[in-house]
This record gives sequence, C-alpha cells and structure tokens, in this order.
Amino acid sequence: MSELSAVVQIKNVVKKYDDRTALNGISFEIRKGECFGLLGPNGAGKSTTMKLMYGSARLTSGEMYILGLNVKKNEREIKSRIGVVPQDDGLDVDLTVQENLLIFANYHRIDRKVAYDRTLTLIRMMKLEDYQDRPVEVLSGGLRRRLAIARGLINNPEILFLDEPTAGLDPQSRLFVWDFFQRLKEEKSTIVMTTHYMEEAERICDRIAIIDQGRILDLDSPDALIRKHVGKEVVEFECSPQDSSYYTGRLTAAGFAFQVMHRSVSVLIGHNQESRQVMGLVASDRIVIRKATLNDVFLKLAGHHLRDQS
Amino acid sequence: MIWRDGFFRVWQRNFFYFRKTWSVSLFWIVLEPLMYLGAIGYGLGSFVNNMEGQSFVDFYFPGLLCSTAMMVSFFEGTYSNYTKLTYQKLYSIIMIAPLNPDEIVYGELLWSTTKGLLGVIGVALVSFFFGLVDSWRILPALLVLLLTSWLFSCAAMVMISYAKNYDSFIFATSGLIVPMSLISGTYFPIETLPTAMKIVAYALPLSHSIHSVRMILSDSVNWTLGLHLGYLIIVSLVLMKWSVRRITARLYS
Repeated sequence: MSELSAVVQIKNVVKKYDDRTALNGISFEIRKGECFGLLGPNGAGKSTTMKLMYGSARLTSGEMYILGLNVKKNEREIKSRIGVVPQDDGLDVDLTVQENLLIFANYHRIDRKVAYDRTLTLIRMMKLEDYQDRPVEVLSGGLRRRLAIARGLINNPEILFLDEPTAGLDPQSRLFVWDFFQRLKEEKSTIVMTTHYMEEAERICDRIAIIDQGRILDLDSPDALIRKHVGKEVVEFECSPQDSSYYTGRLTAAGFAFQVMHRSVSVLIGHNQESRQVMGLVASDRIVIRKATLNDVFLKLAGHHLRDQS
Repeated sequence: MIWRDGFFRVWQRNFFYFRKTWSVSLFWIVLEPLMYLGAIGYGLGSFVNNMEGQSFVDFYFPGLLCSTAMMVSFFEGTYSNYTKLTYQKLYSIIMIAPLNPDEIVYGELLWSTTKGLLGVIGVALVSFFFGLVDSWRILPALLVLLLTSWLFSCAAMVMISYAKNYDSFIFATSGLIVPMSLISGTYFPIETLPTAMKIVAYALPLSHSIHSVRMILSDSVNWTLGLHLGYLIIVSLVLMKWSVRRITARLYS
C-alpha cells in the first residue's frame, strides 16, 4: 500500500446476505485527516459499509484496506487502531459511566493506570463529570451518545467511525456533538460517518459519498456536488397538482431542470440560467429563491426512496 | 501481535460486576439448594432408613451439588447471556475492540462456569456446618462439579443461539433441566427406573455427574469413573464447539 494518505481503500466490494445484495461493487478511498460522510436513504448500504470497515461484518468479495492493513488478514490490528461509535450505543447498563470506559479500555489491553487517566480526560472532554459514577441507566439519550463517543476514543484511534452519530438526539445534544467534531477536525483526526441529515453532512463533512441501493452514486465535496448536480440556486414554489403539470411543461420548454415533491416544485437553476426567468413562467404566491443545498442533490440522486416512503 | 486473551477480559467484566453484588447474588443462589436440603434431605429423608448403605441425606447430597452446578450455570448462561446478545447488544460492542467472537463465547462460558462453581462452593460451605462435608474428598468432587458447570454453560450458550425469546428458557427449564434433575439419580438410584427411562437417564449428562460425585464422596471410586468423566468431557466439547460456531455466525452479521 504505497499511498499513505489514503487511510481507507475500498475496491469493488460486494456484500451479500442470504436473501439480498447489500453492496453491489463499491470503490472509494478516504484520505488521512478528512471527515468523510456516507449519505444515503435507509437500507442504502451505509451501515453495511461501516461494519465492513470496522470488522463487524465480512466481505463477500472485493478488497478493503484500513490504515494499509487488509481487513481479511489483519482484523485485530485494525480494530486496535480505530474507534467506533455504533448506531446502538450498546452501553453496559450494569455499570457506571467511568466503569463503562474502564471495561472497554481493558478489552483494548490498555494498561490499567493509563486507562484510568484516559477515562478522566475523556469524561472531561465529553462534559460527563457530573455523571462519572452514575449508572448508565439514568443517562438521557444525549449523554449516552457522548459516553459512546468517549468509548470510541478510548484507544486514541487513528480513524473514528460513527454510524448515525446524531440520530434521535435533541437539538442541543446534536449541537454538542457537531461542536465536538469540529474540534476533532481541527486536530486533523480522520472521521468517517454515516448520516441521513443533510445539514449535518454539509456542515461537517469534507467529502461525501452518496450511496443508494448498494452503489456509490457520486463522491465529492458538498460544494462540488451541489454545483455539479443542482447549480447555483433553487427556486421553489407550491401549486396544486393540476397547475403543476402546466408549469412543469413550461419549465421544460424553457430548459429548466426541476424536482416535484407533492405540491412543491424545486427548479434547479444552472450556471448560465437566471432565477428571474422562472418568476416569469410561474404564477404562485408561494415562491422563494434559496441557496442550493445537499438536500437537492440528494433528492435528485436518490429521491425515489423518499417518494416511495411518503 | 494482540494476544488471544480476550476471553479472560470478558470474564473480568463479569467478575467486576459480580464483586459489586456478590453477597446478595450468592445468598439467593445458595438459598434454594439449602431449602431443598432441608425439605428433601432432612425432612423427607428422615422417613427413609437406608439408601444403598447410606443415610438418605448422604445419598442425596451429591445430587444436590450437581443440580446446583447445573441450575446456576444454566441460568447464568441463558438469561444473562441472551440479554447481552440480543437486547443490550453487548457482544457486538465488545467485537469493536480487538476481540473475536470465539473469545467472547469462551469468556462467557468461563464466567457461567465460575458462577456455577461458586454456587456449589456456597452450598458446600453451609453443608459443612451440617456435617455433610467431612473429608478432603470434597476437593476432587469439586473438579467434577466444575466440569458439570462447564457442560451446562455450553448447553446454555447453544440454547441462546437458537432462542427466539425468553420463553424458550422457561420451556428448556421445565422441559429438560427439571426433568433431568428428577431422573438422574438425585433422589433415588437410577437402577430403580424402568429400562427405557434408565437409557434416557444415562444419555443425559447430569446422571454421570451425580454418579461421579457420589462415587468420590462415598469413597467407592472404581474404573467406571473414567467413563462417566469421559462422557461429560465429550458432551461439553461438542456443545462448546457448536455454540462457538453459532454465535460467531450470528455476530458477523
């Protein structure tokens, strides 16, 4: 593995379960020091990709190297050098906050004295001091997630994997976690996360892979993805379904791309197009011009799922 | 190189928790066998004059020790481990660290074995004051009881890999564990059973534990002890391998 800058290398990875194919030949690399996001609808293959990377699932075919080590041969060494925050916090409810960290440090074969000091540092870092000796059972969801993150950092990992780190958290807790990621990024830590919150991905991730039905649809920085798939801005308006087909006909004729979600139409304004033009084509009193977001990219690339769900 | 000592670390986690609650935990573990000792051993036993040349309570005591080893390790190995495997997902979390599923299984087996043995030692200590333990022969007997705890820990691990919910353990207890304790020579010699039942009793492992412990405690060891122990070891090994395979497949989803 010559490329030291790539801490994760994935080549043509296929993962099949008994009855379905979860990953259908994915390839990408994650660079050292970046925050990499896997974005996709439920069941797209995000968690499967994560599990393969952190050694809780095995490849059906393909190649995967973590920190230059082959996941098929060096699973234990990889595990000793990475940190994982799984979707289910999986905390040991029989134990206190600090004991959870100590026991996990023991699984990592960290010397007892070193481990003890490290738990105190992490407890301080995650602002869990007031709960240090409390049983995990009494913690709120946000505090539990913080403890799970602390546990993921117990071995000073070279890569931190987080599966839906803010799912189910209240806004304050989410902000705390985001703020914490910013600090990790400043320290040039490598972070790999899955999410289905667009705002989170756009705000935190340096690069994003959009994944759907076991395939990578595109991979780039949030800005580049927005520029490529959406353009510079979006005009969004609401209208009745009858009017909708009339307007979309006019938009098509004028060369605009758009996405329809129920009563709402988003017109994607390309680089050589003007939003004002749309205003002339559509008569709706609920019309706004807004910045193009990752959400628009996502709907364009993987939107069929959202439509199916609603 | 990361040592394959993960099983010990899994055991340590359980021991760590046990240390916090050991007095309460052991009290309840030891209480039930002692109630049986009082009601059956001394109560009912006082109406029985002679059991193969022994008093009833002396005859019954090895059976009680073996049943205790079986019950304690089976309960620890089912309810507690099933909760960790399914609801708490603790095994999936341990796997994040450099520990393979087989180390997790071995660690848990070692723990439920330990707990079974602790239960037996608790019962033996109390029985010492009743004058039931009066010889160094209890020490080799404890080795057989250790083997018994191990066997039923493995059986429990196989069970949880198939269980769909907690009801499975209720069925296993009333359908297998309790009947086994009734026909395996705990309360009366297996020889008094009809032939068909005798075959069933000898196919089940508990009878071999009881035979062995009884032989040792009554100072009547002969060559058949080797057969009984061999059978126990083989059954344990088969169950252990089986459980490792099942749990490993399940954890690498």
